[in-house]
Amino acid sequence: MPETIKITTLSNGLTVIVEEARWAESASYALIVPSGLLFDPEQNIGASMIVAELTSRGAGGLSAQELSNALDSLGARHTVGCGLFYTTYRGSLLGDRLEDALAITASMATEADLPGPEIDGIKALLEQEINSMYDTPSRRVMHELSIRYYPGVFARPSLGDKEGIRQTSIDTIRKIYRNFYVPEKSILSISGKVSADSIIKKVEALFGGWKGSAPNYPIPGEFPPRDVFHVSYDSTQLQIAVAFPSAALEDEDYYSARVLNGVLSGGMFGRLFVEVREKRGLCYSVNSSCSANGYYGVHTAYAGTTTERAQETLDVMMEIFKTISGTITEEELERSKANIKASLVMSEESTQSRAISNATDWWWISRIRTLEEIKAKIEEVDLKMTDNYAQKLAATEPMVVTLGEKELKLK
Amino acid sequence: MAEVEIVEKVLGNGLKIIAERNLDAKSAAIGFFVKTGSRDETQSESGISHFLEHMMFKGTEKRSALDITYELGNLAVKANAYTSDEATVYYGAVLPEYFSRYQELLSDMLKPALDPKEFDMEKKVILEEIALYKDRPSYCLFEKAFRSYFNGHPSGNSVLGSVESVSAITRDDMLNYYKRRYSPSNMVLIAAGNFDLDRFMHDAERLCGGWKSFETERKVEPYEGKEESLEFTKSDIQQAHIMILTGGPSQQDPHRYAFGVFSNIVGDVTGSRYYWALVNSGIAESADSEVDEKDGTGCFISYACCPPDNIDKVSGILNEILDSPLQFTDKDMERAKAKIATRMVLGGELPMGRMRALGHEWLAREKVHNLHSEVEAIMAVSRKDIESALSAYPLTKRSEYRLLPA
Repeated sequence: MPETIKITTLSNGLTVIVEEARWAESASYALIVPSGLLFDPEQNIGASMIVAELTSRGAGGLSAQELSNALDSLGARHTVGCGLFYTTYRGSLLGDRLEDALAITASMATEADLPGPEIDGIKALLEQEINSMYDTPSRRVMHELSIRYYPGVFARPSLGDKEGIRQTSIDTIRKIYRNFYVPEKSILSISGKVSADSIIKKVEALFGGWKGSAPNYPIPGEFPPRDVFHVSYDSTQLQIAVAFPSAALEDEDYYSARVLNGVLSGGMFGRLFVEVREKRGLCYSVNSSCSANGYYGVHTAYAGTTTERAQETLDVMMEIFKTISGTITEEELERSKANIKASLVMSEESTQSRAISNATDWWWISRIRTLEEIKAKIEEVDLKMTDNYAQKLAATEPMVVTLGEKELKLK
Repeated sequence: MAEVEIVEKVLGNGLKIIAERNLDAKSAAIGFFVKTGSRDETQSESGISHFLEHMMFKGTEKRSALDITYELGNLAVKANAYTSDEATVYYGAVLPEYFSRYQELLSDMLKPALDPKEFDMEKKVILEEIALYKDRPSYCLFEKAFRSYFNGHPSGNSVLGSVESVSAITRDDMLNYYKRRYSPSNMVLIAAGNFDLDRFMHDAERLCGGWKSFETERKVEPYEGKEESLEFTKSDIQQAHIMILTGGPSQQDPHRYAFGVFSNIVGDVTGSRYYWALVNSGIAESADSEVDEKDGTGCFISYACCPPDNIDKVSGILNEILDSPLQFTDKDMERAKAKIATRMVLGGELPMGRMRALGHEWLAREKVHNLHSEVEAIMAVSRKDIESALSAYPLTKRSEYRLLPA
């Protein structure tokens, strides 16, 4: 671990990660708490999102407006968001004001008031967010893909379920706060213009009295069979979303998967962009991405194109996936690797991205991958490794979801 | 903060160059900012600035389209470009070791071959981009509202253009537009971050010094705004959208600092008057405001997204707040200033952020952007300044536009 990163676990289980960045004026923080959609009662999917928002509506003797004003007076850019696995409080501000922002965050995560009268407004807000997602075809298609692709609770919609949100009671909300806003498994990651020793002392004072044990996380079961689905929708463009299984964070294939994704869709030079957009002019937006957590990884690809050109777009995309193995050149490999490395170096310039990536690394693999380690792993990936991985991908049937006026066929 | 060194120069052909070096940065950004956009288009050219921006990636005398694509990849450039009504910008960030090669590539790209085959192919991509935006409700409303509000004034021109206008653009039209707008004297070259300062200045002269200069002209006319209410519909949407437009300061107007603070008090995404009146209670999903400073004119945008049943209520509350613009405390004002200042400093930590600030500052005001003095100017804004900005732009002449499910 480089000297600039200090990791401490408090006696209540909260892990504190501090990365000093002397060049910065700013400091950023990310507090991860083990409260996520996958723990929501079956009939209340989205309840944990209400809880996350409600923690900012009154805590530590301050009202919603007072909390917000206190953070704004510090000039902090702050958000709280709840996903499938955990809830994250994040913020960025000038380094010398960090301690005050942490004190406010601590009160929301550890002693929120959870005022009942605020709930209806939050429910209305969350319901509208779902409606807006439905109004945006490119977002809607990825939602339709994800609820079909993952197994069991892992397929829960990332914005919750309208009916479940509507039916959530204050008792359910209080129970979630009691059971899941706990120090064990929680992570506070800080990066920027700070002194690690003094900030750790402050964190101990703010979070030391917090108590509670972490929930047991479920393990994903078998993934649903992959197939082709169509969702009818009145839109100008037809949306195409594709998913293949990929490598999890600690799998040996993980870095090969990232390099292959660069070959497929890095910058403007990836095969998808060149073949679909540059050579054929079939669409404006086409890309693929590969993401991973401790359990699983997924390759997704997306394209949006007018209805009459959609079948050709899908055919070309599938052809690329099927034929990439055995055809990757040294140039493509090097280009992909160079771009991944450049992105890594540039991410070092942002205290916000450092705070988040340190926190998520710790969450998933209980250690922090330094940039040097990741760079070395990327460097190790050669043509053979990438090709082996491409072969696996080509041999796998994808999940395909289309959204629009016409159903497409998979050749 | 790190020591930065700033050098500026104007080449013989009028190309302005500003370089801000910060040896603490891990990357460097370069950008060509051209003072041309949809406002500089004739009616038949609608969409041509943006189409040309795409064509800059499609080949030069020395390089084919794919050569450019692959070279950007080989140099690991985070490259992009964008077009607005006011400006067209070509930029990228690279690691320091690739800086000079990227500078050469980007300079070459600004001399496009406009190959006819590539032109036809890229036209299809643009038509797809137009189709993509047609499916986005907020874009649909913005486009329709601006066109109507600006009532023939060039600031209401569409950046993307329409299917009809883009389909009709020929290669000759584009060449004529290029020859009319892309004079080196109508652009600024910016570098920011970690790079070799002497070599950059020397290469800029070598690569761009031979570009021929000519007179460019932009018609700048003030616009007084108008009062109207229009309603549009779109099928298959569940949320409604509302936008209120009033007059606001131009890029050159000294009231813009005070007006910016005012806009933050009224309509920042969180913690503003709009937020507390509409979003916190769930009446609207979002409600915010923005000052759109343009060359010689400007407007103030209030925007909200809400369930269709709430639209009248949302409109009522937005208008009520606009009727009482001075209803805020000194504490509200200080918070707004703190938020703006922090955003500026955070943005300034990245070479890309510095490049953008330097480029747009030059295009708008022919000044070298100084982060500290800009932050000071924001922090110095007083209630009196806001009062005087609001007497220049009293928010009384409003137009309201709505987008509802069909």
